[in-house]
Amino acid sequence: MAVSAATRLEARRALEPLPLLEGVQDDGTINKTLLDYVWRKPGKGWLLLVGLGLAGTGLLTLAVVVTVAKGIGMWGNNIPVAWAFGIINFVWWIGIGHAGTLISAILLLFQQKWRTSINRFAEAMTLFAVLQAALFPVLHTGRPWFAIYWLFPYPSTNRIWPQFKSPLMWDVFAVSTYFITSLLFWYLGLIPDLAALRDSSTSRWMRRIYGILSFGWRGSARHWHHYKIAYLLLAGLATPLVLSVHTIVSYDFAVSVVPGWHETIFPPYFVAGAVFSGFAMVMTLMVPARRFLRLKHVVTARHLEAMCKIMLATSLIVGYGYLLEHFLSWYSGNPYDFYQYANRRGILYGPFKSAAQDPYIPIFWLMVFCNVVVPSIFWSKWGRTNVYVMWIAAIFINIGMWCERFVIVVISLHRDYLPSNWALYKPTWVDLSLLFGTICFFSLLFLLFLKFLPAVAVQEVKELRHELQQAHERHEIPDFSQELVHVTELEAGEEDKR
Amino acid sequence: MKRLVLAEFAEPEPMVEAARKLRDSGREGLDAYSPYPVHGIDDALKLPRSKVPLVALIAGLSGAAGGYVLQWWTNAVDYELNVANRPPHAWPTNIPVTFESGVLLCALTLFFGSLFYFFGLPRTYHPVFEAEEFRSASLDKFWISAEMKDGEDPRDLERTLLELGARRVTHVEGEE
Amino acid sequence: MPSLKLPIVGSPGEQPAPPRTQWRSLEERERGFEPTGEFPPGASEIGGTSRREFVQLLGASMAFAGAAGCLKQPSEQILPYTRQPEEIVPGRPLHYATASTLGGRATGLLITAFEGRATKVEGNPEHPSSLGATGLFEQASILQLYDPNRAAVLQEKNRPRSWREFLAAQNDRANALRAKDGGAGLRFLLEPGSSPLIGELRARIQRLFPNARFRSYSAVSEDAALQGARLAFGGAVETRFDLSKARVIACLEADPLYPWPGSIPAMRAWADKREPGSGMNRLYAVECALSVTGMNADHRLRIRPSQLAPVALALAAKLGAGGGALAPFAALGAKARLEPRQQRFVDALARDLSRAGRQGVVMAGPRSPALVHALAHAINSSLSSEAVRHQKPLLHDAETGAEGLRELAAEIRSGAVDTLVVTAANPVHTAPYELNLAKALDAVPNAIYRGLYQDETSQRCAWFVPATHPLEEWGDARAHDGTVTFLQPLVQPLFNGITEAQVLAAFLGEGDKSPYSLLREHWRSARADAEDAWEKWISDGFIQGTASAAESPQLRVDAIAAAAQAARLDAAAPGLELNVVPDYRLYDGRFANNVWLQETPDPVTKLTWDNAALLSPKTARELGVQTHDAVDLGLNGPPVHAAVLVVPGHADGAVTVSLGYGRSGGEQNAGGVGFDVAPLRRAGAPWGDRGLTVTKLGRRHRLAITQEHWSMEGRDPALDMDLHEYEGHGRERIEEGRVPVATMHTPWDYSKVAYKWGMAIDLARCTGCSACMVACQSENNVPVVGKTNVENSREMHWLRLDRYFSGSEEEPRATTQPMLCVHCETAPCEYVCPVNATVHSDEGLNEMVYNRCIGTRYCSNNCPYKVRRFNYFNYTYDVADVEKLRMNPDVTVRSRGVMEKCTYCVQRIERARIDSRVQERPIAEKELQTACQQACPAHAIVFGNLHDRAHEVTRKHADERHYFVLNDLGTRPRTAYLARVRNPNPELT
Repeated sequence: MAVSAATRLEARRALEPLPLLEGVQDDGTINKTLLDYVWRKPGKGWLLLVGLGLAGTGLLTLAVVVTVAKGIGMWGNNIPVAWAFGIINFVWWIGIGHAGTLISAILLLFQQKWRTSINRFAEAMTLFAVLQAALFPVLHTGRPWFAIYWLFPYPSTNRIWPQFKSPLMWDVFAVSTYFITSLLFWYLGLIPDLAALRDSSTSRWMRRIYGILSFGWRGSARHWHHYKIAYLLLAGLATPLVLSVHTIVSYDFAVSVVPGWHETIFPPYFVAGAVFSGFAMVMTLMVPARRFLRLKHVVTARHLEAMCKIMLATSLIVGYGYLLEHFLSWYSGNPYDFYQYANRRGILYGPFKSAAQDPYIPIFWLMVFCNVVVPSIFWSKWGRTNVYVMWIAAIFINIGMWCERFVIVVISLHRDYLPSNWALYKPTWVDLSLLFGTICFFSLLFLLFLKFLPAVAVQEVKELRHELQQAHERHEIPDFSQELVHVTELEAGEEDKR
Repeated sequence: MKRLVLAEFAEPEPMVEAARKLRDSGREGLDAYSPYPVHGIDDALKLPRSKVPLVALIAGLSGAAGGYVLQWWTNAVDYELNVANRPPHAWPTNIPVTFESGVLLCALTLFFGSLFYFFGLPRTYHPVFEAEEFRSASLDKFWISAEMKDGEDPRDLERTLLELGARRVTHVEGEE
Repeated sequence: MPSLKLPIVGSPGEQPAPPRTQWRSLEERERGFEPTGEFPPGASEIGGTSRREFVQLLGASMAFAGAAGCLKQPSEQILPYTRQPEEIVPGRPLHYATASTLGGRATGLLITAFEGRATKVEGNPEHPSSLGATGLFEQASILQLYDPNRAAVLQEKNRPRSWREFLAAQNDRANALRAKDGGAGLRFLLEPGSSPLIGELRARIQRLFPNARFRSYSAVSEDAALQGARLAFGGAVETRFDLSKARVIACLEADPLYPWPGSIPAMRAWADKREPGSGMNRLYAVECALSVTGMNADHRLRIRPSQLAPVALALAAKLGAGGGALAPFAALGAKARLEPRQQRFVDALARDLSRAGRQGVVMAGPRSPALVHALAHAINSSLSSEAVRHQKPLLHDAETGAEGLRELAAEIRSGAVDTLVVTAANPVHTAPYELNLAKALDAVPNAIYRGLYQDETSQRCAWFVPATHPLEEWGDARAHDGTVTFLQPLVQPLFNGITEAQVLAAFLGEGDKSPYSLLREHWRSARADAEDAWEKWISDGFIQGTASAAESPQLRVDAIAAAAQAARLDAAAPGLELNVVPDYRLYDGRFANNVWLQETPDPVTKLTWDNAALLSPKTARELGVQTHDAVDLGLNGPPVHAAVLVVPGHADGAVTVSLGYGRSGGEQNAGGVGFDVAPLRRAGAPWGDRGLTVTKLGRRHRLAITQEHWSMEGRDPALDMDLHEYEGHGRERIEEGRVPVATMHTPWDYSKVAYKWGMAIDLARCTGCSACMVACQSENNVPVVGKTNVENSREMHWLRLDRYFSGSEEEPRATTQPMLCVHCETAPCEYVCPVNATVHSDEGLNEMVYNRCIGTRYCSNNCPYKVRRFNYFNYTYDVADVEKLRMNPDVTVRSRGVMEKCTYCVQRIERARIDSRVQERPIAEKELQTACQQACPAHAIVFGNLHDRAHEVTRKHADERHYFVLNDLGTRPRTAYLARVRNPNPELT
């Protein structure tokens, strides 16, 4: 490789070790790379994946129809385990739906430059995840046809209102607010790019469609003038919102009296978990996307590493949460809590010797492995820069976070206060189809997004490029050509590993 | 009927300069167009401070107030029930919904407020779109538009703009 | 809302409502009714009560309309229960006294009827066998009345026939038989009965057909008791027990604490003496399988069936050691060869009995061998026990066992039988296998079977006659103490049923007489005062002062001693022993189609929709089997496929199976449930034998058990302690269960309202018999979910009986606890409901608003007692129209996706409230009982107004044994539990 040690040394010494943009870029090249693939014909792989997504979505539809037509009895739920897959999936998807807004909002407020290349992507993921989540609260009720509107405070003839002390009511408001706000935030960011698509479009029809979608945006200084502040305010709004949503979701459990639910640490620990799973999902999708959409020059190793670091941090918080739960269960001296957690760990002693070993114990330990052990690979630079390692780790984390919700929801419920009504929970084919189906539906939406909308916020990248260029002219960061070196290095590195 | 002269620049900085010079020469009806927000254009065009934050603040506060009143009135006034011996008006349990409804109204206002009121969108037609070249305004070029007074000859202004560094100039006319 | 002017509700201004739904009795109807005071104040405003009443009236009238469509009122006048003590109105609107019979004994009932539509069974408070309570069988009988599977067509060889055709055919044939040889070819196989009417008919038939032969048969026969009596007294004597006189009770395979026919008084008497203190009685149980009595015993000795006689003998010997009446047995003590642990038990028991003297009693069960009964008699008379009453046998045929069947089968084989009339319940299914009764019946030219269902027996008989349900027939029977009891029909037979009396009358040429006239004529001839007293008898349901006279037969100690001497008692027998028991839910299988009973968990094993081979943990380990394993049981017959269920406290080396399952008749719910034990029974040894083989099949058969988890896990929801502990630190332990818990918010003020409803459940009285579960199911239209849903723990019972085991798995202490919504004042379920579907009433009820519920199930998750039930499916979807008649019109039938739970029988509260407001007086304690309270034979459940010091519930809430389950959660329940205190013998602890 024609790279002198000197240049590499210089790059290492540089203020920002890995580049935000790779290669020599100008607005033209950015347009070409970030917009033009919308006009390209869809590839075979894409069509295949869409086909799979459609099939899975069909299965989802079937499961939903069966549930509504025959009743929740088609699920494995029972008494005491009256909540199971429905709520697990809900919390899991909502959690995943946190990274997007977090990345785009908080990182925007903190002026984190590296966000620009991934925020659009993450926001879309958020929307689609929240969409999946929103399916469950309604579906899991016994009479969804009433749930749809009795949960909203409309003046009815019998004058009975919703009961606002119930965390489920808080959920209704939190989730709908979160979805709407994320949607608006995402779309506001999208408008200039839609205009760009309109103007770079080749066919009349595309021009018309994107013209309408962009509301006739013309990038006037007066627009930008309000646009910047509006976008910033939405970000400022979304930041506390994103924290509030999972806090409120955690109230569903924390407010109850069920041992294993009634935990004061739930809010922070749920939010951390949400960010954790959210970034894991972004990673899971980003790694293949940046390869197949050829986005390596905008979504660089630097971005991936930053995400790895966040996953590591949140995994530590989550792990601390687990530790604390179990410590408190002993420290509180509450026999029911004590049993609950001893039973999860599968280590029964004291008066609980007689209890049968819980069949769910492996799920608890799988959760610990996925959420605490696996992410510790990110302590090493190698783990943070090797796309294969981080991709597999991310998938493990997705699984682990699902297990966490299973542990909280099912294991807590199936052995609560009176041993006489302890019972096991077994999922049915409908439960499994709902989980698998939402995953497919999610992927389907995502594939369509990747095809028909710019997956990277083009205008922001252009802005960033411009800033970088000026910074470079002021000699604050090394020359682009050196960063080019890095690209080749990285490429080469990945080739070797393959 | 509106007549506009349009000038395209390759880089943002000259465009800002040009805008400032024209503004200083006392020309009205100026506007600039760019693929991304350009630094310094605001004061070049002497744009007033944006009212968006004020509107957002009002919306947010009224949303929150509305949310709280809703809960208080429905559960503690209009139809009071003994729910698990909890006080009918329990303010701590009202915090989440209050917050969420505040955020919701604020977000809706921000989006639709800016779109309809501040941007004056949606609109499918604008004179500037008469010029096919103008497509680059959202891609990689930077434009300035200046309004012509009645009977003014566009060529004078086009010349000045070329002198100010415009790569090419054109003029369009159409209904606002 | 505009105030509706509804004619049906009426208002002071306008015409009163049509009388239809208002009259309380037929007389009142004759008199015509007076609108004044008929309606609660303010009936016309739409608000609170009047709206409720409107709905009630509407429901009632709709029910009437519905009922009118498919019910015919009996043409004869039937009489309501009018002579009732002031205020005792157990429910509404009309109650008729009648009875149900089982094992030939009648239990007096009151049937709630809405415009002639019977909906609920209650006990007749004045009837000696009921005392106002009922058992499972009585409670569930209402479901059987409306069972769509009941046979409706009289058939000859599966061709429909009319009753007239039947009479014609039988008449000719009977005459021919009589002419031939005085009816030598005529045989009757009847259900064991004590009915005076049947008695008379039998006598007349016998006169007409001198050579005809009557027999009775029941799978649950008491022949052993009879032989025991013969051995002890030289004659047929029936013994019953008055436990109110007993302080030390020893049960030798006797099960008096389960509401078998006639044992409700025993339960009540036993429970009355369970208050801790000197008056407390002590119960010893000697048995193989853990029974309801065993669960409640202060001491329990588990033995293989073959060891029962040795134990009894050893007991007699020990008591006789000091001379006295039992001296002859002293020498035989060695013959028993008991193990040390058994000997210790027997010695302690003997000392305790002799201390108790006249207050001691030994009870032998129907399944105990004759010798044991004889020994029991000997011991009781030596103690001159006050608890024992002897009386003439009630049944027409003293023998009701399989021996009679053996003779009959032999006669059939010899071709002597031409016409056989069978009214016994499904003998083909229950008869011992070796008799091969099915084949025998095929050989009878003219076999007639009267049954409720087209079952195994009907398939073998030429003629099938659909039977009437007890609630459809005019009849009589004797209570366990001999009191003459009447059955009056609530409805004209729904399925063209024919009474047993009619079938017999057919052979007297009186088959065309109505059951009513048969009964009426009998009593006219039987008693002089019949004319005047008739209406009183019928409305009371029984004739006062007709209890059988007490007998005092002479005990023949030497005969018993001789028998004991002769008996072969090899205690240490090799191999497994079989122990057959009547089923707690299906009896002998006659209730197999009753889904309520099928789904009621067995009081001991908590098993539903199955019977199983019960094993002790040790035996299970030795056989290498565990619960849910499929095995083959073999005992001198073809093997039986059974599922294993391991039960703590079961005797080692024995296997217990129950009767009544493995049905192959026409009943759709009974088919394929459990296994048939007939191949294991022999006429000589109907209750079990030695040499049982168990072979593991390697397959699994999932049993639906409602409570898998036996241990309390160191929590004590159900407090159960010994007397000495109670008098020691026990009180403080209970106190912890009721200390007020600190709370953030000020408790709701209930002092303003007149009523503060509360309940108290005395665990010391509860035997766990589960009658309350069925009563609740019947009162509240609780759906049945079926086996697969029970397996997935989705059963819907609002009231369940938790059963915990503590101590060793060999000698466990079983504690039962009725668990239903405790109506917490700070109910965790309420504040999590997003739609206000469960809220508190001003009188402190935790109310469930079905039509507001969207089914989030959050309330169930947050209920620490898990007493809420969810309609996972539309369980009432496929209820047949005729079954719908059974529904209680005061209680909503819940739809799919709705949460439900115990309401403290709010519909009864409101009914009582309406009455009291009409009469402008407060609700009295006696007029308001919840369904579970009313059914409970042991009187363990009380309900009432906690504001009223006079109410029993208030006293119980002040009792020093009372505590609240999960008190430390601060839920402040309205249901208090009274800790169970046992009275063990210090010598044995």
